[in-house]
Amino acid sequence: MSSVTYTDFIEAAKNFIEISNRCCDGWKFIEHDKDKCYLRKETFLNYKNGDYERLLKADYVIFYKESYCVPSFSFNVWNSAGMLLSLDDIRTMSLISINKKDFYSVVTQQEHPIFQRPYFIIHPCHTESVLAAFKDKSKNIIVTFLGLVCPLLNINLPLEYGM
Amino acid sequence: MLEAQNQTEIIQYVPFSSFVHPSFWHTLTEMKLEVDKLKETTKQIFGRFTYRCDIGSVFEVDGTSFNKTPHLEQQYHHVMGTIMNKNTIEDFKSIDKASLLNSIGEMIWSNLRERTWITNPSALLNFFILSFADLKKFHYYYWFAFPAPSQPTVHMKGRSTKISDYFNNKQLETLSQCYKSLEENQKNFFVVIKKNDDLSVKKLSEVFDVNSANCIDLDLVSTYFVFADPSNGCNPGWPLRTFLAALLEYCPDLAKSTLQVIGLRSSMNGDFIKSLVFSIEIPQDIKPVESAGWVGWERNDKGNFGPRLANMSTSMDPVILADTSSDLNIKLMKWRLVPDLNVGVMKDTKCLLLGAGTLGCHVARNLLAWGFRHITFVDNGKVSYSNPTRQVLFNYQDCLGGGRRKAEAAADNLKSILPTTNSKGIVAHIPMPGHPIGDSLKEETIGDIKRITEAISEHDVVFLLLDTREARWLPTLIAAQHRKIVINAALGFDSYLVMRHGISTSSDEVATLDKQYIEGRYLGCYFCNDVTAPGNSLRDRTLDQQCTVTRPGVAAVAGALSVEILVALLQHPKRVDAPALYNFNKTEQEIPSQIEGVLGAVPHSIRGFLHSYQTIAPTCTKFKQCIACSDTVINKYREEGLDFLLNVFNSGSYLEEVTGLSALHLSAEMSEILTLTDEED
Repeated sequence: MSSVTYTDFIEAAKNFIEISNRCCDGWKFIEHDKDKCYLRKETFLNYKNGDYERLLKADYVIFYKESYCVPSFSFNVWNSAGMLLSLDDIRTMSLISINKKDFYSVVTQQEHPIFQRPYFIIHPCHTESVLAAFKDKSKNIIVTFLGLVCPLLNINLPLEYGM
Repeated sequence: MLEAQNQTEIIQYVPFSSFVHPSFWHTLTEMKLEVDKLKETTKQIFGRFTYRCDIGSVFEVDGTSFNKTPHLEQQYHHVMGTIMNKNTIEDFKSIDKASLLNSIGEMIWSNLRERTWITNPSALLNFFILSFADLKKFHYYYWFAFPAPSQPTVHMKGRSTKISDYFNNKQLETLSQCYKSLEENQKNFFVVIKKNDDLSVKKLSEVFDVNSANCIDLDLVSTYFVFADPSNGCNPGWPLRTFLAALLEYCPDLAKSTLQVIGLRSSMNGDFIKSLVFSIEIPQDIKPVESAGWVGWERNDKGNFGPRLANMSTSMDPVILADTSSDLNIKLMKWRLVPDLNVGVMKDTKCLLLGAGTLGCHVARNLLAWGFRHITFVDNGKVSYSNPTRQVLFNYQDCLGGGRRKAEAAADNLKSILPTTNSKGIVAHIPMPGHPIGDSLKEETIGDIKRITEAISEHDVVFLLLDTREARWLPTLIAAQHRKIVINAALGFDSYLVMRHGISTSSDEVATLDKQYIEGRYLGCYFCNDVTAPGNSLRDRTLDQQCTVTRPGVAAVAGALSVEILVALLQHPKRVDAPALYNFNKTEQEIPSQIEGVLGAVPHSIRGFLHSYQTIAPTCTKFKQCIACSDTVINKYREEGLDFLLNVFNSGSYLEEVTGLSALHLSAEMSEILTLTDEED
């Protein structure tokens, strides 16, 4: 099973940014260290629960997970006071489109390998095997990866990425 | 229809909603701790808002707000403002908010009167934060204000209209292009002139003359006053308020006229198609700004004029971070591997460790790793120079000055590993059977017994980690009487024993021998084993001799297994009554389902032999004549209390008489003699 190398990741990331800039999707490519680059996007989220409406901000980071040789998706969400949402908040607010029983096998909280702060990490099911299956057919491995993640987080992936 | 178009209503400005990035609090804290310290400061900071049409009227600050120059972001405008950080909550609460806002407003207004805004339109934007940072709790109280004069009051003629009703695509394209070439500080407020079909963009300084006291010959029909509009609804955003006030101060002759205002709103791709045009009617009498006060304090979440609180303790307080991160380890086990794991039970279980030596230290470390947070040590000794290398909670410092009390040092050092641990040390000596107590020590011994009894009764689990067999007797009896979970660990040079005790039962029922397992409550204790396995090999006998020298690995393994057995027990639905298999080597399919808990079946005891790298898991029932856990002994203790105990301590043979063991030994000797006699024949 061929896996995604770091070089593959960087190449796909740079490609991804070009598309993002074209459709103004807001992603940025950040070179943290020589071997720690990542994609980042900050965006507002509108949370509605019946009459209750709240504005939140989400920080999405796509980085490379060396030990598994796959891209990894991490995020944090905070409210207007700057307070970070807890894992339980994320679960009960159904910000992730998954039934509560499966929640913990998909989302976990870990110390982020790059930022050394707690972040939520998503494990889309069978990332490695799906990406390996698509590796030769996919034009951009990160777009394929996001295609697995976006439905979970209700993120809209603009069509431009597929073209 | 026409009337509706001409209907005027007092203009409703859309106020800003503050939005703070967590990094703002981090930087504020850093500055307070390292730069300002006790000084109460008023600092210049930057905030920003976007004129994107898909985002509402949000005003953002983050860690970069404290930078000397702001970090430019696309489709955002930066605003220079002030933060006033108070040193106490009382100062924060007691400061007069209305007069504070007015004095800020007065300062802004006197600047505006000098008309520097004509050359530097960004000067029309302003914001203020009143704050108080409680850096012990990481609670941040804050209140945003966006100062604007309450006068003049203007009216909006009809509803706002789309910009495409006024400009065609070519003109909009021109607008976009010219906008891009404006300098940053000109982009907030500027003027658009549409003559015939030509559209031109002009800086404010190209339209207004700073020096001229008088007015302008602007053709109001072809002139549009433009402002970057944070609002994305049908009403204009907050910046327009101060803009209009400044315009009317500069040119009072604009009274009784209608101004065309463009609220500039950008789409994602940078075009301005979503912008709106407002028709603003200026009243005849323009009330001067100085006549009325200033408005702009932000309403809080409840819609009242009051401050907001950012409780950042869960993400910023290092003690809380250590605590939640440690808990996370256990939760990950549950989420990923053992979904039925009860993570709360470890936190709630109180553990008493009798002995803070090699075993005690290893057990404590493993308890911490499993999420136990209530740990008490009982030990009479002091840390000596030989201890730190093997007793993993002590270090060199603890040995100095005669040596710290082990129980206390162990408790303190646990807290230095995880501050939220509830750890305590009790200094007490455990009296032993057959070790007589002299009159001079009687009172102290009674005190020790009392404290040990209290400690056992207040905890859920007792770990027997002592260095002699005799010292285990008293706590075994007390724990049996109180029906506590007991985990017993003993070491030999290269062997170990880890076991769990059964608990006392009220019935006389004894487990039947032909089952595959023994119910937990019928399991034997340390002393049951001792007698029911007569004639132990020499190797077993070297277990638990005081001052045994052991291979270091033995203590680590035994300590770890003790905790693993406890957790397996706690995770079993039957807890201390969890059955123990006779034969632990059965394959998984053969184990009856009622035996297994979440972490599998729980053995009665584990004996390990480092010499051969083997372990066995023997199981045995209670012994009816056990010197520690039999009904005879427990009842005698219940009836006679302290007197019974003192008798036991003072005589080496008392217990064996009480339990009838002396008779048993005699009969065993007799049968030996008889056998030999037979053989000789």
